[in-house]
Amino acid sequence: METISRISSMLETARELTLEAAQSAAINRASGTDYSSRTYSPAHIKKLLDSRHEREVLDGMRRVISLMYRSEPSLTFFSAVVKNVASANLEVKKLVYIYLVHHAEAEPDLALLSINAIQKSLTDSSPQVRTMALRTMSGIRVPVISQIVSLAIKRGCGDMSPHVRKAAALAIPKCYRLDPNTLPQLMGYLETLLGDSQYFVVGPAVAAFLDLCPDEIGLVHKHYRSLVKKLVDMDEWGQLATLRLLTFYARKCFPQRTQKVKRTAPEAFYDDEKQQQEAHDDAEEYEVPVMDPDLELLLRACKVLLQSRNSAVIVSVVRCFLYLAPSEYIASAVGPLVALLRTPQDMQLIALYNIVAVALRVPKPFAKYTAHFFVHANDPPHIWRLKLEVLTILFPHCGKHWKGVIISELEHFSKGTDPELVRESVRAIGRCAQGDISTAGMCLRILLGQISSPDGNLVSESLTVIRHLIQQDPSSHKKTVLQLVKHLGSTTHPDARATIIWLVGEFAGIDPENNIAPDVLRILIKGFADEMEIVKQQIVLLGAKVYLHHLLQNPPKEQPEQLASLSFPEAPAKPQQEFQNEWSDNGNEESQDTKRTEEGEESRRENDGAETKETEEATEDRITLLWRYILLLARYDTSYDLRDRARLYKSLLETPSSTQLANLLLLAPKPVPHAPSPSETRKDLLIGSATLVVGSDAGYHGLRGYTNLPDWVELGQEPDPSLRTEDVKPDTSSHTTSMTAGDRLDKALREHKTTSISSRGRNGPAMPLDPAGKKTLDQWLEEEEEGTETESETGSEEEETDSEEEETDSEEESGSEEEDDESEEETDSETEAVHKEAQQLLG
Amino acid sequence: MSGEIDAVYIYDEQNAPLVEHVYRSRPPSASAILPLYLAHAEPRPSLLYIPSASPPVTVFSTVESNLLFLAISEVDTEPLLALEFLHRVIDVLEDFVGAPLLSTKVQANYNVVAQLLNEMCDGGTVCNTEPNALQEVVEVPGWMGKLLGGIGVPGTSTPALGSTNPLKQSLAAASVSQGPAIPWRRPGVRHTSNELYVDIIESLSVTMAPSGRLLSALVSGTIAFTAKISGVPDLLLSLSAPGGQHVLGRKIELPVFHPCVRLARWKERPGELSFIPPDGRFILAGYEVDLLPIDPDLDEPPSHMEKLFLPAIVDIRKSLGPSRSEFEVRLTLNTNFPGQNSSSRPGATRSGSGASTPSFLGGGGSGNSGPALEEVVVSVPISKSVRHITDMQASRGDAQFLPATGILEWRVPTGKDAGTLTGTATLRCSVSGYPSADDEVEDSVGDADEDANANLLQGYYEAPTSYNDATGSTSKKTRSSDPSKRKKKKKKSTKKTSRSAALQPEDAEEDPIAATTPSPNRSIPQTPTPPPQSQSQYNAHLPAFFAPSSTSRPTRRTKAQVNASLMPNSASVSFSVRGWLPSGIKVDSLNIDQRRSRGLGESVKPYKGVKYLCVSNRGVERRC
Repeated sequence: METISRISSMLETARELTLEAAQSAAINRASGTDYSSRTYSPAHIKKLLDSRHEREVLDGMRRVISLMYRSEPSLTFFSAVVKNVASANLEVKKLVYIYLVHHAEAEPDLALLSINAIQKSLTDSSPQVRTMALRTMSGIRVPVISQIVSLAIKRGCGDMSPHVRKAAALAIPKCYRLDPNTLPQLMGYLETLLGDSQYFVVGPAVAAFLDLCPDEIGLVHKHYRSLVKKLVDMDEWGQLATLRLLTFYARKCFPQRTQKVKRTAPEAFYDDEKQQQEAHDDAEEYEVPVMDPDLELLLRACKVLLQSRNSAVIVSVVRCFLYLAPSEYIASAVGPLVALLRTPQDMQLIALYNIVAVALRVPKPFAKYTAHFFVHANDPPHIWRLKLEVLTILFPHCGKHWKGVIISELEHFSKGTDPELVRESVRAIGRCAQGDISTAGMCLRILLGQISSPDGNLVSESLTVIRHLIQQDPSSHKKTVLQLVKHLGSTTHPDARATIIWLVGEFAGIDPENNIAPDVLRILIKGFADEMEIVKQQIVLLGAKVYLHHLLQNPPKEQPEQLASLSFPEAPAKPQQEFQNEWSDNGNEESQDTKRTEEGEESRRENDGAETKETEEATEDRITLLWRYILLLARYDTSYDLRDRARLYKSLLETPSSTQLANLLLLAPKPVPHAPSPSETRKDLLIGSATLVVGSDAGYHGLRGYTNLPDWVELGQEPDPSLRTEDVKPDTSSHTTSMTAGDRLDKALREHKTTSISSRGRNGPAMPLDPAGKKTLDQWLEEEEEGTETESETGSEEEETDSEEEETDSEEESGSEEEDDESEEETDSETEAVHKEAQQLLG
Repeated sequence: MSGEIDAVYIYDEQNAPLVEHVYRSRPPSASAILPLYLAHAEPRPSLLYIPSASPPVTVFSTVESNLLFLAISEVDTEPLLALEFLHRVIDVLEDFVGAPLLSTKVQANYNVVAQLLNEMCDGGTVCNTEPNALQEVVEVPGWMGKLLGGIGVPGTSTPALGSTNPLKQSLAAASVSQGPAIPWRRPGVRHTSNELYVDIIESLSVTMAPSGRLLSALVSGTIAFTAKISGVPDLLLSLSAPGGQHVLGRKIELPVFHPCVRLARWKERPGELSFIPPDGRFILAGYEVDLLPIDPDLDEPPSHMEKLFLPAIVDIRKSLGPSRSEFEVRLTLNTNFPGQNSSSRPGATRSGSGASTPSFLGGGGSGNSGPALEEVVVSVPISKSVRHITDMQASRGDAQFLPATGILEWRVPTGKDAGTLTGTATLRCSVSGYPSADDEVEDSVGDADEDANANLLQGYYEAPTSYNDATGSTSKKTRSSDPSKRKKKKKKSTKKTSRSAALQPEDAEEDPIAATTPSPNRSIPQTPTPPPQSQSQYNAHLPAFFAPSSTSRPTRRTKAQVNASLMPNSASVSFSVRGWLPSGIKVDSLNIDQRRSRGLGESVKPYKGVKYLCVSNRGVERRC
């Protein structure tokens, strides 16, 4: 959702705004001196603070706060300010409190002087004053007062006003940071506050819980259902904390149970009705997950939040659905997640990270929204990068029409001018081809079209992707390699050349009848000296491969002497041939030269040695000659790396008769390369976390405070579900009654509205008017719209404790059901144990 | 921990720290974090992890009216939470201090800002961001209230120095002790003149293929609401769209709502928003409309498309002129807004009591002037390798190229004479790049060498063709084994392309260039020849072979290609239209449910106004 400030600026014409801004800038420049001259001297401010008139004190305080914010020295007023801490004026008090919290650390002793006055305010008749006092006290960072703060919180927890209780909840983490030893007391307070009837007390209480002791889920059991119920009514920030807590809680408390239930009858019914949905239904058919009713309660409550205006809430719901719920839930949340792209650009980026992470797991539902991910010309790099990634993830799940559109989009951007964008688009095309084999041909065609581009960057990137594609299905790409070879002449980019040469080498053995590798090699050797090193390496490698293939196809047995004479000997076996070898080395080279000169092409080598010796041999075995020549070239290269490589290949191929080792090394089948989506590494990070966005930079464990979701609890290890029955009303019930009294007035006023509101008024006493809440309630009760009994029936087995009779009823009910559950579990575990034993026996 | 905000920093237009508010622990100070933040190259992502700060922090950032807002967190905090919080801070500050947010205004109201920041987040936990709730706890000083009178901060309708006002205090106390009945609306609102305004803003984003076919057309809409009305009113806003109510339900996709909206009512009857508004200005709902719904599973391009009206369409034709260095942008404006004539009768969009008063639409609602197309700007992103653009000839308006931003901006004036607006305007430019050698240096050193050589060789070896002929025979021999094979390759490759083209006919049609590029006639002749070499002695012989194929041809080709690479490959147009929405959504009625409302006299007939605005911020984009 757009923010109001952005919408306002859209509505007002740009001209007016710029005018005002310009004016202000002018004022600003002038006022640099002007404003400070208007500010009073410290002495004057002190005088104001010491004044007996509230007005003047207030004025003085405002000035002090301004000084403080302007990072000018304001500490000197400390004593003068602290004197006013007991001021009756609320405004003055507020400002004094702000000042105190800001400076207390610097002046702990003076700050302590104010504690007494603040403590007094804790018992003030005005809840607002009590709230402020509690908040300030806990904010003063002087560890000595931790016990006082703890007591103040205790008092606040029992306060009549929900605002004070909220402040108490907010103070808990502050107190904990002040002195971690107060933890046991604070947890006690938390337990009280978690059970508070007011939705806006519970939110901060949950946040405090997460801060203090996120693993103590024992505290939560009792309040689980009330938390779920209050979820919709809370403010966004409370919802965020609660969603997080409940997501973790659900993993720890609801084991994944599956029942193999034959749902043939409804299945057939489904099939008749809509056969398109078969995919989903099939999944359901095989394993029917038995969802804990409590978990279902949470998931249903979450569904309503999908229309929240807060993007963080939507991502939290998505997280909840993704990790906890069956697939139909996440499908329903995909739309709202995509809708986050309407937010301002800064949030769009984060939304995209989350979209990518979700799409990697469940791409199908996103296909509907493909058009949302088209890259726009004004997208900054971090946005288009992610958009391209989403497009490639969605690609296999789109129909042919969209596939065509996506590919042409990518092609369009691959012809752009931004080298980064070009690279990413080409890679994206490669990933598309990889994701859907049927389109590989189309992608390859586009990439091949690009290798004649003058943009070296594009060419080399395209070739890398082409290489990957070819490797995935080598046999059908022989012609493609031929086509690539043609480009060797025009491509100057070293990476591109190296890639092509490598590919030629790989394909040298595939089709012996139609082998172009020796020819390519021959042509390449001519320009060897002027190639970049990376290309030279590939040429040498190609030479080795060609030679090896040659050896394999023409086993040297027929003419062992000749071949032996052509190659380096096995040193121990035939020592006497070493001479010959040296000789033949030279001779071969010369003869090669001879051959070339004969062809009128080769006149560059000024080898004036013997020309005609062993011409027969040379013509017979050109490849050997080529190989020898390459080795010679490489031997005198300036790069030691290249020389080393050449030496390696040389000794590897020394013995024509034993090519096994060379075979293993050079012709090893290459693993099919798989270009993963760039965010694949982030796939396992928690949706919605900052670590997901930061990625690997955050280190192995993520950012500080990052925790991934726990695994589902093992069946049988989970806490007893009966813990979640709300048998005891929380301590705050006294306030609740007093609250309801006040609220009954309100209710009476609005009684005439709708019946549903009155039913709502019962369980959320302070929120009779909250329409959103009412709605959700309606939702829960979609099936049974009876109005009164509804609440108790949603939980199916558990009860809402509204009246005592119901309570006992429910306890009986739930008790018996739980027994059933338990017995089931027992039998389950028994059978498991039997299995284990059997296995052990067998093993 | 779902979210902990350690500090909020605001920097002014010159990036000097303006506000520094620390919530918990000891994060790096505003002046310490700024250089680390600025060290990242623009455009900066909204979340930056800065491990080099002490302690390492994540920085969430957003920029609003030239002020930089940073939120700092030492632990893993949900990024969207932090950013939402920053946006709320911005909204609230604008609400209290006045929009647009300027550093001078903030400086003048430090005490208000301090109180607000203090209230909105407590010890790192975001706790109170509702403007109405904040108005209750944060007082705007008296003189500010007077100043803000015109801006419409409802908090200012209470008397100045309200804290000393006993009545007010007791009121506040009462609400505090009970907890607010409606968290987003403060109690006891009083307005002398009751006013209700609905503003619907739709932002249009359209992508068009080079052929002119629409690829996507999305509208994201926002309903902004201004309520200045006493008591606790219960409002019902009904929207309508051409085609009726059930069409509307399908049309409005993925809506999000302010918490005050009753969701069940919307579900039952899409298009009806029932709510008790907060006091003041707020965003009621957001939605989107897909003007071009296409089934994702579709295999064939949709045979018929809904006809889509766009007030401005841009087209671009490139590589024109003798040196192929010119391009032409054509802008087609159309102000014959559909459905406007039939429904432009005044008051069609207004309802109830406000009917007698003139519409809030200004001139727009009075029928005869109709929607107004304004601020038409065409922007063409220009490649970085373009040095300058010359001969900019616009048939209307004027164009400007700013090399710093790399965008060619063409403003087309839209004066009062809306009638003559419809039609086509063109802008013709010619680009010139840097000298090619320099140009290539940027890409890679190797290329530069290559290119320079090619140029050199061209001068030397193009003329003596006879020499080439003489050596031609030998060169043929070198490739002895090739020709037959090459032919084969050629055939195969063409076959291949045709096959794949057949497989994807619509694709091929869309970009014929791609289909033809692999055709071998251009690339084959040079196939077996390695690139021209640079060694002196050796070259003396070699170029003879290469001259005919690789020297002259590539240079000519690169010349054309250099120009081609300078061509823009997309253009987009920005505009705004007052009084027209692409989705066709209209406000049908806005009624006060007197039965449910409280504190509002029966006789009160609030003034109602509706405003429609369509914005396209470089939203209509044409690929080419």
